[in-house]
Amino acid sequence: MLMSDTFRFTAPPGADELRAKVRELAEGYLADKDPVTRANCWMRPDPAFSLLAGEAGLIGMVWPKKYGGHERTAAERYIVMEELLAAGAPVCSHWVADRQSGALLLKYGTEEQRQKIIPGIVRGETYFCIGLSEPGSGSDLASVRTRATHTAEGWRINGQKIWSTIAHKSHYMIALIRTGSEEERQKGLSQFLIDLSMPGIDIRPIRDLTGTEEFTEVFFDDVLVPDSMRIGEVGEGWKQVTAELALERSGPERYLTSFSLLNALIRFGQTSGRDDIRRLVGQAVAELWSLREMSMSTAAKLASGEDPVVEASIVKDLGTGYEQELPRAVQALLEEVDFASGDDFGRLLAYLLQASPSFSLRGGTREVLRGIIARGLGLR
Amino acid sequence: MLVDMAEKLFADLTTDRSAPFATLWPRVEEMGFGGLLLGEEEGGFGGDAGDAFAVLKTAGAAALPLPLAEEVFGRLAAARAGVVDVPGIVTIATRWDGGIAGRRFTGTTTAVPWGREAGAVVLTGNGPDLLVMARGARVLREDANPAGEPRDTLSFEGAEVHEVPEFSALHWGALSRSAQIAGALDRALAMSIEYANERVQFGRPIGKFQSVQHSLAIFAMEASAALSAGQAAARAAEVDAAHFEIAVAKCRASQAAAVGHASAHAAHGAIGFTMEHGLNHLTRRLIAWRSEFGGQAFWADRIGEHVLTMPPGQFWPNLTARSDVLSRAAGSK
Repeated sequence: MLMSDTFRFTAPPGADELRAKVRELAEGYLADKDPVTRANCWMRPDPAFSLLAGEAGLIGMVWPKKYGGHERTAAERYIVMEELLAAGAPVCSHWVADRQSGALLLKYGTEEQRQKIIPGIVRGETYFCIGLSEPGSGSDLASVRTRATHTAEGWRINGQKIWSTIAHKSHYMIALIRTGSEEERQKGLSQFLIDLSMPGIDIRPIRDLTGTEEFTEVFFDDVLVPDSMRIGEVGEGWKQVTAELALERSGPERYLTSFSLLNALIRFGQTSGRDDIRRLVGQAVAELWSLREMSMSTAAKLASGEDPVVEASIVKDLGTGYEQELPRAVQALLEEVDFASGDDFGRLLAYLLQASPSFSLRGGTREVLRGIIARGLGLR
Repeated sequence: MLVDMAEKLFADLTTDRSAPFATLWPRVEEMGFGGLLLGEEEGGFGGDAGDAFAVLKTAGAAALPLPLAEEVFGRLAAARAGVVDVPGIVTIATRWDGGIAGRRFTGTTTAVPWGREAGAVVLTGNGPDLLVMARGARVLREDANPAGEPRDTLSFEGAEVHEVPEFSALHWGALSRSAQIAGALDRALAMSIEYANERVQFGRPIGKFQSVQHSLAIFAMEASAALSAGQAAARAAEVDAAHFEIAVAKCRASQAAAVGHASAHAAHGAIGFTMEHGLNHLTRRLIAWRSEFGGQAFWADRIGEHVLTMPPGQFWPNLTARSDVLSRAAGSK
């Protein structure tokens, strides 16, 4: 019943060189960037970096060569992802496309969709956002009301999505949209590939409490989408989204978002010689190592064609819990925090204390994940 | 197969929890489990750390009231010290006082698992491990951990000592307890789920209530973390001494043990608090094992020390290089 190590990666030949290559690219780009810029880095869009990553062959690692992909292994892909995150590289622009949208198109998309879109993702030019939540549909995702009506010219879409990260800086959205009745719940949903430059789409950024404007609300007013932009079968949207979420929930971004704080804590421990800091470092590293084992095992299971929905939920909930606790635990140990003098450590802590509540909201709330785990345990 | 054998034997050995050591232990010896890690030429199974982890996890799930972990690694220590024939059990002491003169040990050891049955004791945790022969040792005090497992104080006077080269029973003990905790958590979780699905209140099984579901989901996450960290440490221990991975495993398992202990009892209500109900055999062991062979803070300090003594900026490169080496070694087995 528990997740175990049945599925495991073996470090691929050339792992050292691959790690070195990613580190060099990231460090070369980040140069003397401070730790605050390196935190939560997969929420920082930067097309210039995404182009570099594409040029270096770090996007679409496991995808077929005929679409521009590199046909590398899942283990190599994992190495690239974790190295980019550990360095704090600004990977946000291409992250969603690389992590889930491209994979979804390869699995459910048409040949035309793949040929048209995937090469651009691989080059680091084409960016995606996710269209799931709506003002009335958050955790209860099966209640979405944005509707696509079948007409002679295609699908006419009306409604509103919200909390779509970087919609205003993306080319496409993969949206979950109602094509059946509301009573049908999950069965009445389909997925569409939406070109965000189409007429009738209005994207408005929303300022979050840290002051950045990376999430958005997106309005659809009689947007006419050709049937060729439908992904998969009508009514299969829920099933497709669920598979996509396992990709979204189990990756290294679920335990490396506040990694720059752990690095800063290690530096502080080295200079201060404090016993309590040493203990906190040890505790955090024990959790990090365990989470990484679990995440890699889940990634290996995904790569073998299984659908580890419960394992992915476990990784995300435990991982975000650890990442939220770390800044709180650091703050609790410090007699005083220098929030106001431009000190790197104080600014980093201030940023993560503010940003960390979102870790267990984005990508499925803690409460939803625990429901999924409970179902896996046979309690629902 | 080894695990199936162990499972059957341990189920047998726990049907009557009042059965004395003298009737239970010979059954373990007959099956040769003590020689799990000895080579076949030494009359053992020729097993590796992964086998030991799997068997001890099974022992933990059964709440086996016997010093199997101590015997498995104690016998290995004895063999490394070149001592083949030890009567009784070989157990392990992490707390001891005294000195050595002319290859003879005089001193006391406390909280020794099943010390009263010992033919030899491995002293660990302070300098190189030592194997002390227990013939003529006095049992100063018979005591027990919170689970009622014997933890005795022994006194030695001029006892024969052998150095155990390149061995740390402290780490093997920590890996053992990680395995036992992982097994006990797994079983206690299964019992809690079963109970939550059976017990009806307010007209439905309590497992249908979200608060109960979420508590057991957290339990499952913690149990999974303990198991993953433990298995990773066992794999690493097949490659080298694996001190970092074992430290992580015991630190993480000790953290998980507390959560599982609380959640299992919360799910079971008053019936789980009775001596008659089997849950306490698991949960009382969880709280005892949590502290034995180093608690969470002990190992967190060791891990912290290890990380803080790395050159600046080398933590991540070291971590990934280490896991790449380990995964290759495991993959080539």
